[in-house]
Amino acid sequence: MAAANKNSPKKHTDNENESSLRGTIVSVGFVGAVIVIMWAAIFGLYMSRI
Amino acid sequence: MHRLEEMWIAISTGILIIFMVVVGYQTFALGMGPPSNKETIDPQKVDQTEPFDEPGISKIGDNEYEVVMTLQAFGFTPNNIEVPAGAKVNFIMTSKDVTHGFQIAGTNINAMVMPGHIQKISHTFDKPGEYLVLCNEYCGTGHQLMSTTITVK
Ligand SMILES: [Cu+2]
Repeated sequence: MAAANKNSPKKHTDNENESSLRGTIVSVGFVGAVIVIMWAAIFGLYMSRI
Repeated sequence: MHRLEEMWIAISTGILIIFMVVVGYQTFALGMGPPSNKETIDPQKVDQTEPFDEPGISKIGDNEYEVVMTLQAFGFTPNNIEVPAGAKVNFIMTSKDVTHGFQIAGTNINAMVMPGHIQKISHTFDKPGEYLVLCNEYCGTGHQLMSTTITVK
């Protein structure tokens, strides 16, 4: 009983951590997308002027 | 580590590796690196040193030209370059005074021309037109006047 009580809030905390990084990966993904788009645009500009 | 952390570390590392492989291949296999010729010259004797004693344009092959050019405050010598469309032009440049820039608008040509160094860069002019050439390194009070054109017919 005591063990079960200890386990369940711990699991609950894990799930909370997992979901709390969702905003982070969206932000990281946004920054990454901006970097990839700018790199690809410069690459395309360079290749079009060869 | 968190599953999402592993994911973005893997993705960003992968993107960096792709960027480096693409740019490395362009530079070392296709010769598309920035102009980085390593010859030197005595900057005080440019006028007496070959080939800069006779700056100008000469035909060196089938629609291939060589332009020997000196840059000085605030102009380019020669400044009346005219080539046919599709011509490959090899520029050989040096500065007689301070560091100048050699940029041709609308092309990938962008070189730093330093006194004491000989810079080389090539370009094939496929489209006819007037190409604007600019000095893009601040070189003195007349820097904004330092420009010329290359005519491609
Ligand atoms: Cu200049």
